[in-house]
Amino acid sequence: MALRKILHAKEDRRDLAAQGVDRPFLLILMALLTVGLCMLYSASCAQSLYDTRYTDSTRYLQKQGLCALLGLGAMYLASRIPAGTWWRLAWPVYGISIGLLLLVLVAGQSVNGAKRWISLGGLQFQPSEIAKFALILLFARLTRGFGSRAKKFRYGVLGFSAALLGILLPLALEKHLSAIMLMGLVAVVMMFVAGTHPKWLGFGALAAGIFVVVYVTFMGYAGDRITAWLAPEKDPADTGYQILQSLYAIGSGGPLGLGLGKSRQKFLYLPFQYNDYIFAVICEELGFIGALGIVGLFIALILRGYWIALKAPDRFSTVLCAGLITLIAVQTALNLCVVTNLLPSTGIALPFFSYGGTALAVNLGEMGIVLSISRYRNRASVQEETV
Amino acid sequence: MKKAGYGRLRSDTGQHGRILITGLLLGILAFVPIGVRLWNLMIRDYGYYSRLALANQSRTTPVDGRRGEIYDSNMNVLATSVTVQTVYLDPHELKQSGADIEHISQTLGQLLNLDPAWIQTQAQDLTRRYKRIAAQVEAPVADAIRSYINETETVGIHLEPGSKRVYPYGTLASQVLGFTNVSGVGSEGVEAAYNSFLQGSGASVITTKGSNEMDMPFSYEAYLQDREGCSVVLTLDVTVQACLEKQLQAAIDRYNVQNGAFGLVMNAKTGQILAMATLGGYDPNAYLEVYDPQARESLTQLENHFLSLPEGTAEYSKGKQTYLEELNAARLKQWRNRVISDGYEPGSTFKVLTMAAALDCGAIDLNTSFHCSGAERIPGRSQLLHCWRSTGHGSEQTPQALQNSCNIAFAHIALKLGGERFYEYVEKFGILEKTGIDLSGESKGVFFSKPLVTQTEKWGTASLTSGSFGQTFKLTPLQLVRAIASVVNGGWLMEPYLVEEVLDAQGNTVLRQEPTAIRQVISRETSQTMCGLLRSVVTEGTAKNAAVAGFDIGGKTGTSEKIDVLDANGNPTLDKIVSFVGVAPMDDPEYIVLVALDTPSRTTGMYISGGVMAAPTVGAVMADILPYLGVRRSYSPEEAAGQQVVLPEFTGMTLKEAKKAVADTKITFVCQGQEELVTAQLPEPGSTVSGDSQVLLYFGETPGAETVAVPDFMGMNRAQAAQAAGELGLNILVTGNQDVTPTVTVTSQSVPKDSQVPPGTAITLQFTDTKVLE
Repeated sequence: MALRKILHAKEDRRDLAAQGVDRPFLLILMALLTVGLCMLYSASCAQSLYDTRYTDSTRYLQKQGLCALLGLGAMYLASRIPAGTWWRLAWPVYGISIGLLLLVLVAGQSVNGAKRWISLGGLQFQPSEIAKFALILLFARLTRGFGSRAKKFRYGVLGFSAALLGILLPLALEKHLSAIMLMGLVAVVMMFVAGTHPKWLGFGALAAGIFVVVYVTFMGYAGDRITAWLAPEKDPADTGYQILQSLYAIGSGGPLGLGLGKSRQKFLYLPFQYNDYIFAVICEELGFIGALGIVGLFIALILRGYWIALKAPDRFSTVLCAGLITLIAVQTALNLCVVTNLLPSTGIALPFFSYGGTALAVNLGEMGIVLSISRYRNRASVQEETV
Repeated sequence: MKKAGYGRLRSDTGQHGRILITGLLLGILAFVPIGVRLWNLMIRDYGYYSRLALANQSRTTPVDGRRGEIYDSNMNVLATSVTVQTVYLDPHELKQSGADIEHISQTLGQLLNLDPAWIQTQAQDLTRRYKRIAAQVEAPVADAIRSYINETETVGIHLEPGSKRVYPYGTLASQVLGFTNVSGVGSEGVEAAYNSFLQGSGASVITTKGSNEMDMPFSYEAYLQDREGCSVVLTLDVTVQACLEKQLQAAIDRYNVQNGAFGLVMNAKTGQILAMATLGGYDPNAYLEVYDPQARESLTQLENHFLSLPEGTAEYSKGKQTYLEELNAARLKQWRNRVISDGYEPGSTFKVLTMAAALDCGAIDLNTSFHCSGAERIPGRSQLLHCWRSTGHGSEQTPQALQNSCNIAFAHIALKLGGERFYEYVEKFGILEKTGIDLSGESKGVFFSKPLVTQTEKWGTASLTSGSFGQTFKLTPLQLVRAIASVVNGGWLMEPYLVEEVLDAQGNTVLRQEPTAIRQVISRETSQTMCGLLRSVVTEGTAKNAAVAGFDIGGKTGTSEKIDVLDANGNPTLDKIVSFVGVAPMDDPEYIVLVALDTPSRTTGMYISGGVMAAPTVGAVMADILPYLGVRRSYSPEEAAGQQVVLPEFTGMTLKEAKKAVADTKITFVCQGQEELVTAQLPEPGSTVSGDSQVLLYFGETPGAETVAVPDFMGMNRAQAAQAAGELGLNILVTGNQDVTPTVTVTSQSVPKDSQVPPGTAITLQFTDTKVLE
């Protein structure tokens, strides 16, 4: 009964009944998911055929489709859970995710040399995806707790930083660089939204900058990445290979593209063509117009998401919603920058498109929370009227 | 948990502002550079990147399978391409399918004649997905591999079609045809000279391929561009070529020729090359192998020598270097077409040109007299000039000068002609320029500089006089033949050519070569006079051994010392090239044949001269090719007795009918059996026999199993040979020198001695005067 109590706090029930979810946001999301699955199939079919000795082109689509169904289920559930429930779950989720991150270090599975996976009853997933959610959830709760004290260094900087470090340390042990970067960025944005003084964020940015310089200087491997970024054509066969292949794919798309399914670069020229670099295949197949259309869908989703945050009935919901949308926005922008070689390669996936079951399911679940918050979008005006 | 903890606290207005800023930054501003970047990549630089992408994805494969054919003048295929397979392994697939790599290695090793251990290491190298283990695998082996794959259901062994150049006639005309290298590009000969036609411009297939070198599983339009190569029809005739090569080889064997032989058959009127041969050649199907037995032996020694040394030492690499250099030299030598590429000293054959020039400009006429005492001091020449016959030719006139090949007479002809006119005619005969034949690698020999022959008061007359009888300069065999052709064809210098026609893949003519006259060198009248003189060299002069009964042949012998070849002590080796240029038929010259033998052995007991060795070889070539080329025989009264006839089929005839069939000959019949009609005959129908032969006709009986052993005719004179043949009931057929003198003896017989043949068989005997010098 405790669970039931948590899921359906009495005071929230009538609010939820009052209004449906935000239709435009849901429609944009479904459009992205549909196009995403189509493009995933197109981008992965060559790799799938190759992996299965040319017998099956749908192996990747099958796994991703299954996770999409799971994710849609999670989204539906989440959209019916009131924000107060998440407020109460913030600390437990944070604790569990740190536990899972530590568990990975002990009992994780290696994929491509990185130990980031946990197998639960035959189902593999990446705890770092849950950790991202846990961090956003906790930041939202802390923002609500700190209130206007967030402007002070002790709360606005030290408090948030402590919460951030709790997650980043196990990730650093995992050497999960992309997740660290992503969470750092999301945390900074959320601190800004929470009200931490911009000067502290400026210092933070400076510190991060110094860290990057030192890192690049002392880690030859990452240094190669910078060279590959600035001049990929210098080593087209090795370090520059990935980015050059990506640029070939994008550039050869032209205004209208080669046509859906007709990418050539996906035939094992472009590594991770079904994963981090799926957008390059999209550009090649759908051309400039198609690529802009998809970028437009993302922009619409992000803007509508922030609109929902603005319309949220309370500070916790606002910051939670803004945090979740920020996560999607930062991932999307970083991925597109990497694929088009505006930034050095990092390993961040494109939400709803890239292959990766955990990420897709968790992302959809998170969007469920946004939808749940969207049910209160007219609450403010309603409240004002009743007052 | 306190309810108040989660209240309905309104967001403060500052937070609203910050969310708006965040939304603006992450929702709009962050995507502006991405949009600009996409525009730049996909619209502005579209051309650049699509080009790079295409280069990245496409493989240009030259389709040498569609290389055109090379035909002879009768459309016999001299070079063609067949489909062969490349066998490669995909180690990844082999591993995934759990194939029995050891068994596969054993089987493939056996089929492909490769080391199974090596195949196994290839099959286990997982760094690659394409491991080529054999190329140019032909159909039977490829089929065996295919059925092995099917039986064992192995995944990971693949066959890829390619093509291979095949030369059905093997070594025949190898230096003329050339070959294609491993990339399918023509090297040497016609393959090189006409490569752009044969290959077809850009004959290649461009396919988009996946990074793992597999074809993309879905079909892609565009990027296919291929054009089939053209075929080339030569003026060369395989029958003529085969006759020439056969007789050259026979000459090499007979005279123990040390350094190969070369020959040429050209149409004197048009310049078409009917045959061009350099013996000591190679088989273009395996052009890298060395075919000369001596060179092979010394190469094996060199190889064994450096292999016996410890690897890595200086001696080892030096030995290896020597071996590789020798190997390369041996290959280049066997690929070389000496007829167009190598200059040689023409010797007395050049006298034809000197005499034609002198007659044409009126420096001499047919009645000009000369006197040869065997040796003479020529004005302007420091050395005493010797004639080849030390006793001298005595008093002689122009025709005898040529018939006797008298050097002293020719020195005088040169002096009468003068350096200016001599040089002018040499130039007009094309000796100073390449002939322009459509083959690569032609050279033009080395002639005297002009002042050396024209300014006799300054340089003396040595060059002029030596030049007049073909010594101390070099020209290519083709230059000489072309010039002599102009002497006999009415005076026209023709451009020799080898390719008659170029056909595209549909058989349409792309290019057609017509005979090209470059200039008229001598007048028609001089040409006719020269024809008569050349005929007299064969009928009365040094070239009697070249005669072929029934054909009107002329020509000129030549023997030249290889003055620039020195032995280990720096002395001239006295090695000789003997040659003969023959022309037929002399009343309207059509074919011109050159045969040159490089360094006949001094141990055969025969005089080393063009008349003894090259003239009968040309005669034998003529006897083979003239009937084939449709030249009509006309017999002189003396020849009529020994007229040669081709026996018709008598089977089914009565005796009366058979007699009627050979009424115009002196053939007699010996009959056996009782029946009305002929059931069998000896010699067989189609045999060439002497016109006075006896033919055995069987009426109902079959030829007995009785045979006779062929005697050794070699060295017999005419009378002895006739007696030996008559005793055994054999027929003989005389060819070569028709003189009935003791020095004219048999130098070859068409059936080897001790062979068992039925009585009545016709045996061709080549008679040669083995004591002719010049």
